[in-house]
Amino acid sequence: MSEADFEQLVDRQYAALFRFALSLSRSEADAADLTQQTFFLWASKGDQLRDRSKAKSWLFTTLYREFLGRHRHEVRFPKVELDEVREEEMSIWPNINALDSAMVLQTLNEVEEPFRATLTLFYLKQFSYHEIAEILDIPIGTVMSRLSRGKAMLRQRLLSREEALGNKIVSFQSEKKGESHG
Amino acid sequence: MDNREAKFILNAYRPDGRDATDPRFSEALDQARRDPILEHWLEDSVMFDAAITEKLCAIAVPAQFRENILAGVKVSRPPRWSKPLANWAIAAVLTLMAITGSVIWHNTRPARLAGWQNKAISVISSLVRNESRFDAQSQKPAELVSWLRAHDAPAAEKLPGNIEKLESLGCKTFSWNGIPVSVICFMRPDGGLIHLVFTKAADGVRDNAPRFVQQGDWATATWRSGEMVCMLALEGREDQLRSSVL
Repeated sequence: MSEADFEQLVDRQYAALFRFALSLSRSEADAADLTQQTFFLWASKGDQLRDRSKAKSWLFTTLYREFLGRHRHEVRFPKVELDEVREEEMSIWPNINALDSAMVLQTLNEVEEPFRATLTLFYLKQFSYHEIAEILDIPIGTVMSRLSRGKAMLRQRLLSREEALGNKIVSFQSEKKGESHG
Repeated sequence: MDNREAKFILNAYRPDGRDATDPRFSEALDQARRDPILEHWLEDSVMFDAAITEKLCAIAVPAQFRENILAGVKVSRPPRWSKPLANWAIAAVLTLMAITGSVIWHNTRPARLAGWQNKAISVISSLVRNESRFDAQSQKPAELVSWLRAHDAPAAEKLPGNIEKLESLGCKTFSWNGIPVSVICFMRPDGGLIHLVFTKAADGVRDNAPRFVQQGDWATATWRSGEMVCMLALEGREDQLRSSVL
């Protein structure tokens, strides 16, 4: 790969990779280091990738594996079980506009792995459930399950944060037309 | 399909149209069109997702980060990446040596590699330059060894301890004078590559201790392991190889 092609690849992917790394590591310094290391690995062996259209997938997969390699001892099964996400709370939506990006990221960071990685890949609008399954090396059904449970956990935590801030909670039944969720 | 199942599926739906033709979502979307409650939920869900995406994509990237990535990779790149012409020259020399080399592996002249070893280095060079492809790819060495065994290709009974811990890239098989040879490529901790080559041991080959040969830019160590002869090779110095072998 020429230097110009490499620069193009960096331009296209570095911000999304950094944000993915940030949601995994919860530290800006670690996220920057993971992103840098991922591009270094690409420079070292990315040329061996046969299908160049999969470069984006390769980068996210490599970054995730790098993260797992460094934090394997920290990755645990989630403490929150599905039963804790009560059905009635599933119909309440937080008002995201009341929160800034840092707060949303902080709340996302409170969602346990492995849900957090799945959510971040989905929300960065980069990947389909097929691609997420490939990157995380898990079955499609597990991706869907993690998205479903992860979104419920995220919503619960956002609602708690809103409550703590004294913001209005917008219910499924009463909101809609004329009231924005962001 | 009930609403709970439809919600489960639609949580993975990307509302920008990219998933519109995915049949996995069709039934759930049809259900949402028929059921106003589910439709209402989907609208809320899509808005919620869009808002989260917007917030996450607004997270600032550190200043000068792009420049740091480019500069960091530039100084870390192995020299072979920045000198393609030199690579071609080395590859040409190695290929010539592979073609003209006729010394069998147990030849005792210490500074020369056998024909199959030169062919192996030629094959490895081709893989590194992306001119040929792996037969199988996996980051787990044991999976590649299993693949080789399943395809009746030479494979060591046990990988060297220091090598077994490394992340593998892939394996390839080739034939030299009708003798099957296998190669597995690994990623070293320092970012470079190291390659393990196997072939069936010729009669009379008894050296169990590694025999080190530096040939051009390649350092190699060769030894017998059971019925196999193994060669470890890397582009670099013999001392780098010794630290991987010993």
